[in-house]
Amino acid sequence: MFKSRITVIFLLAWRGLRQHAFSSFVAAFTISMAGGLFLSTWKIKEEAQKAFVNSSGGFDAVLGARGSKLQLVLNGLFHLEASPGNLTWEQYELIRDTRGVKEAYPIAVGDNYRGFRLVGTLPTLFTEHQWKEGRNYEVRQGGRIFTDNAKEALVGDFAARKLGLTVGSQFHPYHGLDFDETKRHEDLYVVVGLLEPTGTPADKVIWIPIKGIQQMEGHDPAAAQSVSAVLLSLRGAAGFQLDMRYNKRGNQATLAWPVAATLASFFERLSWFEEILSLVAFLVAFIGALIIFATLRTVMNEKKREFAILRCLGASRMVVTCVVLSQSLLLAVFGALGSLLAYGGIGFLAARLIREQTGVVMESMSIDLAYHFFLPVVLAIGLMSGLAPALQAYRSSLSDNLSPRS
Amino acid sequence: MSCLEVRNLLKSFPSPDGGASLVVEVEKFSLSPEAQCAMKGESGSGKTTFLHLLAGILKPDEGEVILDGLEVTQLSESERDRLRATSIGYVFQSFNLLQGFTSLENVQLAMTFSGQSNRASHLRTDKAWAKQLLDRVGLSDRLDYYPRQLSVGQQQRVALARALANRPKLVLADEPTGNLDPQNAAAALSLLADLCRENGSSLLLVSHEDKVIDAFDRQLSWEEINRSSGATEV
Repeated sequence: MFKSRITVIFLLAWRGLRQHAFSSFVAAFTISMAGGLFLSTWKIKEEAQKAFVNSSGGFDAVLGARGSKLQLVLNGLFHLEASPGNLTWEQYELIRDTRGVKEAYPIAVGDNYRGFRLVGTLPTLFTEHQWKEGRNYEVRQGGRIFTDNAKEALVGDFAARKLGLTVGSQFHPYHGLDFDETKRHEDLYVVVGLLEPTGTPADKVIWIPIKGIQQMEGHDPAAAQSVSAVLLSLRGAAGFQLDMRYNKRGNQATLAWPVAATLASFFERLSWFEEILSLVAFLVAFIGALIIFATLRTVMNEKKREFAILRCLGASRMVVTCVVLSQSLLLAVFGALGSLLAYGGIGFLAARLIREQTGVVMESMSIDLAYHFFLPVVLAIGLMSGLAPALQAYRSSLSDNLSPRS
Repeated sequence: MSCLEVRNLLKSFPSPDGGASLVVEVEKFSLSPEAQCAMKGESGSGKTTFLHLLAGILKPDEGEVILDGLEVTQLSESERDRLRATSIGYVFQSFNLLQGFTSLENVQLAMTFSGQSNRASHLRTDKAWAKQLLDRVGLSDRLDYYPRQLSVGQQQRVALARALANRPKLVLADEPTGNLDPQNAAAALSLLADLCRENGSSLLLVSHEDKVIDAFDRQLSWEEINRSSGATEV
């Protein structure tokens, strides 16, 4: 136990903190929260952006009505927000047959079942398209893909679990993107298959034939030949040519390309939120440092006599000073480790929220250079908080604290 | 040759009126090796300050303190720290055990700063010696007890064991029985004297209580030593 001077210093520091367990815990906990918030602010946006880009379902671009590119991407690929308008079937056919377009799938939206979107598309999306390199959609055993003209549905894994739908289940769609039980359509759909999970927004969608949306009872007959958007996979430099055709020269439609750049603009919009979180994290870190300082000051005041006893036993001023500094270092180490846990916890909650809201699955949050940089910073803050109390310990008079005059 | 020798020792403290109040003025004092001496003095008369000067806790304004041939007042602070660790055992009225450490650890801690613990070969001996000391004071079954789990008498016995941990040349005891009941006080005094004798340590005890002073054959009056012109040899 007393193998070296350093061991003794850390032992004295540890026992000192243990004697003031509550104050020590509060100090370490505050640092953990501050660190966790700080790391989360730093990393969650980055990880979420990466997850969104990876969840674009293997498409390079989205063609839709004239309007916001971001709205097109969110609506077409992430099944969020409303469609900015419609394209005609001819516009779909035109781009489908354009040189450089590898794949083009029309989608139509406008209905839901208990809050989960119905998206109409072609069955070939599920037989030919790779949502990730080398990965086609897979239908769970016992199911199949809907046929083009039938009132059949293929349900994403997350939606099926949340709605309790299985093969053979029947349901009536509801009009609109938000669930309103007064707006039930008379059409009756039957679930013919469930998709294996993909970790993309496709999981939270009920897929039906595009004609189903177009010709749904109660829909405007004029919409029977329109589509909400076209999802595109492109070859070579086709993106530049199509960008020129639709965005720069034309005014009939908008091409959201490349998807990653459009998503980046989305995340840039969130920077104000990131700044507020950073400010909160800084404030919490500052409070954490103050708490370390206050804890050590309290410990110091209560420990003056113990330090004097140590001095009387032959411990030098430097040993006593090192004990105080070690206490602040230990608090900082516990705080830094706690930060990692808090970061994991916040990340887990954020990932769950993002998945429930968007279907996008975030990979486990990485601990990279950010944390290697973060750890020394926390330790430095801890040590700095301990400097004043350590100095106090260094300067304290041995004889005064032993009550010399009798 | 004396174990401890004091010459022309002066120590004063600032007084509230801005002047200086002379607390210790000892012209000559010495203690032979292995001698045991009890010194009586009133409370507040400067006895503790005198012990602090002997232990190098305080520096005198003037004078010399020579411990085992070493001029304490000429040593740097770190050298005095080391001297306390290796050559002086101190027993306090309020025991001053470290509350976060067990009996055994309190005794071992006293050995830590003497430098012995840095030598791996001494480690086992240190622990064995600490256990032996606690056994000697009758606490072999209380090694892992924290001070708050011990009675007042047991705490003072741990403090005695700690004072002897480094086999010091000199043991200074400052009102060591002040917090003990008569029965425990008598036992502690007897134990302290025996331990010092067994270890070859000189003992200087100060107290304001006659019954404590009477337990020792050699008795001195602090009032006679302080500000006195006569040499005092025990």
